[in-house]
Amino acid sequence: MSAALAPEAPPRARPRKAPRDVLAIAMAVLFGLIVLAAVFAPLLAPLDPYETTPQPFLSPFWGETANAAYPLGTDGQGRDMLSRLLYGTRLTLLIGLASIAIGGVVGIAVGLLAAFYSRLDGVLMRLADIVLSFPSILLGLAFAAVMGPGAPAIVTALAIATIPEIARVTRGSACTVMSQDYVVAGRSLGLRDWDLLTRYVALNCLSAVFVFLTIRFGQVILVAAALSFLGLGARPPAAELGTMASQGRDALFFAPWIATLPCIVIVAIVLAANVLGDALRDRLDPRLRNA
Amino acid sequence: MPRLRSLCRGLALGAGAVLALAGPALAQKSVTIVREVDSNNYDPHKSTARAASEALFMLADTLVSLDYDMATIRPGLATSWAVSDDKKTYTFKLRDDVTFCDGKKMTADDVVYSFKRWLDPATRSPVRWRAGPVDDIVAVDPTTVEYRLKAPFSEMLYQLTQSFAVVVDKSDVEKLGPDFGVKGLNGTGPFCWVDWKPRNEMRMKKNAAYRWGPPIYDNKGPAQVDEIVWKIAPEDNTRLAAIMTGQSQITQYVPYSGMAPIRANRTVKLVESKEAFWTYFIGFKIDKEGVNDPEVRKAMVMAVDQAAIAKNLFFGEVNPAYSYISQDALDWNRKVDAELIRTNVAEANRILDAAGWARGADGFRTKDGRKLSPLLYSFTGSTWQKLSEAVQGDLRKIGVDMRVQLFDATAAWGKMATQEFDAFGMSYPYISAGDALNLYFRSANIPTPNRMNFKEAKVDRLLDAGMTATTDADRAAAYGEVLEDVHRQALWIPLYHEPMKIAVSAKLAPIKAHNNYGCGLYKGLDIRYVQ
Repeated sequence: MSAALAPEAPPRARPRKAPRDVLAIAMAVLFGLIVLAAVFAPLLAPLDPYETTPQPFLSPFWGETANAAYPLGTDGQGRDMLSRLLYGTRLTLLIGLASIAIGGVVGIAVGLLAAFYSRLDGVLMRLADIVLSFPSILLGLAFAAVMGPGAPAIVTALAIATIPEIARVTRGSACTVMSQDYVVAGRSLGLRDWDLLTRYVALNCLSAVFVFLTIRFGQVILVAAALSFLGLGARPPAAELGTMASQGRDALFFAPWIATLPCIVIVAIVLAANVLGDALRDRLDPRLRNA
Repeated sequence: MPRLRSLCRGLALGAGAVLALAGPALAQKSVTIVREVDSNNYDPHKSTARAASEALFMLADTLVSLDYDMATIRPGLATSWAVSDDKKTYTFKLRDDVTFCDGKKMTADDVVYSFKRWLDPATRSPVRWRAGPVDDIVAVDPTTVEYRLKAPFSEMLYQLTQSFAVVVDKSDVEKLGPDFGVKGLNGTGPFCWVDWKPRNEMRMKKNAAYRWGPPIYDNKGPAQVDEIVWKIAPEDNTRLAAIMTGQSQITQYVPYSGMAPIRANRTVKLVESKEAFWTYFIGFKIDKEGVNDPEVRKAMVMAVDQAAIAKNLFFGEVNPAYSYISQDALDWNRKVDAELIRTNVAEANRILDAAGWARGADGFRTKDGRKLSPLLYSFTGSTWQKLSEAVQGDLRKIGVDMRVQLFDATAAWGKMATQEFDAFGMSYPYISAGDALNLYFRSANIPTPNRMNFKEAKVDRLLDAGMTATTDADRAAAYGEVLEDVHRQALWIPLYHEPMKIAVSAKLAPIKAHNNYGCGLYKGLDIRYVQ
């Protein structure tokens, strides 16, 4: 902001941000491909991901025991790894998206209310502090114990863990916006609270929240995978990347692809989400945009 | 690929070893045994956990002992015993040279006290039934105990070889109160209690006075190592790493994926017992819709490919099971061999078609608008995860949509005591047909361990007949008929029998695996260093 407002600032050399853009575009493409693969998994998967065959531990196409019918090999139950990876990615992304969507909507609402109504601020933020003091994994364990292991428990836990963080970011942003002249002007014009909140405040702090949500998406995927790895995630035979990695652990010595392939996909999703989040922040944050 | 493989192996081993068992160097005469789970306590009358029995066999002794064949009764604290003609009175002659770890002499009074505590309703022992229908137990003189029954109990001597029947010290039990088996236990075993850190380690030291071990051991004197440390390592690869790097000398909890590396490793030997007295199965709750149809159950049993499960999931290290108990177990009925349901997917499909279960558009079967989708409850952890998925996969082939819900061991036992599920996955140890059948198929044992809700007057009668039989032949005939009956009704899907496999460091002399309650080391009298 200060750079943009300072007319006497010396003209800068062309900003050297090209490599970063390239990385961001590459990650956007990667992320897009992963999402497309997940969305069209039923069309792309060559085989039924649940069909067990008497051919377990076949290696991927580069290995010794490769079989053309199973390009990425088979798992310990003789199921096609490629098909399971596609379905697994679908479920993992779905868990991440659902958690972020629920946590995001509630978190934004809580943050806005806290910023707008100072009477609620103290209560809401202390509540947020309480939830923040529980690690996501612990929340996941608790919900899995109560609801039984499965995707709904994970989504609930991760959504709840996401709420206070989003609420904090939204509140911070909204507080800044609240002190702007146009909000004061709106208030003096006699706008109703609802209009002021939705048209003036919310829209102006969404960009920061959106960036945070993108980065949070990567974290959520990671925690969801960890919970599934611990056996609290998707129920068998559902394919889920964390569960698949966990199942492959037993065979790590002689069929390392069963654990490593889902891990590679998890890394790709998280990396892409984080780099995209960074790039979005660069684009949306006026301070960085004008630097 | 080989490089990647060795890198993975190195990483897993290194991480496991560093994480779990970093500790001071072991003294030469100390043996570290790693295992998967700990017990909640070591009170012989209050725990049914194998983990408790493993330690109790070493800390204390039973009146009679069991030979490796799981059928021959041998002397223990009793040198001889006589059974009355009506099979209701057992008279045990005790050794008079037995002392507890604290040096106190063991007498018939201690034996009587131990059994009475086992039977006392105040003890609330979950294994009280194993003591039989006791009338009274009396100490005739310091070396004679009379065990009087209200009715004959054909399993009597076998039950007395179990860790629940060990002799404890009255003053120790009274002194420790609720801490008995938690902070200490004064036994007569080859090892004495040092200390126990729950879910971490248990230490025991050699009982130097020990001379009364079971005759199945060549070693007639005290234990040949000074100390045994039982460590808990829940993670499969950690235990594998510990045994392969020499941080542990013995484990009977080797992950199946680790058998091949262990066989290839010259510093570790694998001790295997041919007999397998630990069986994994899925039981049906036979009054629930769908699985209440015997034809459906039969088709489901037929659809499961036990041979493929044993080969693919457990690397051929377990024996595919078609029977509910090992066919080597005492009183197994050879007539049932030919009647066991074998894998036959085509026939299973035919049975379901004939029974009116038609396949829908999704490939799953329905009848009268009800979908055939039984719900299975079992335990989390890699074994049941793998097993349930394999069975689920096999059942899909006959149009059965089995739903699976796995629970942590802390919640699973409670969940499996309810009526919420249609099938349950379980595994169990047994000494004989009678041991297994009385546990699972008695109507009095509903809702647990008879989770099938199986209630048949004829079977109850036969079980009573087997239990009170006065000859081996009568007992075998009664249990044999029960075996025939329950197998014919397809109450379980047997999955596999697990043979005892113990990984032992090459620094130790060869040991022989025992199968008593799945405790492969039994008294541990043959554990010794040779290097």
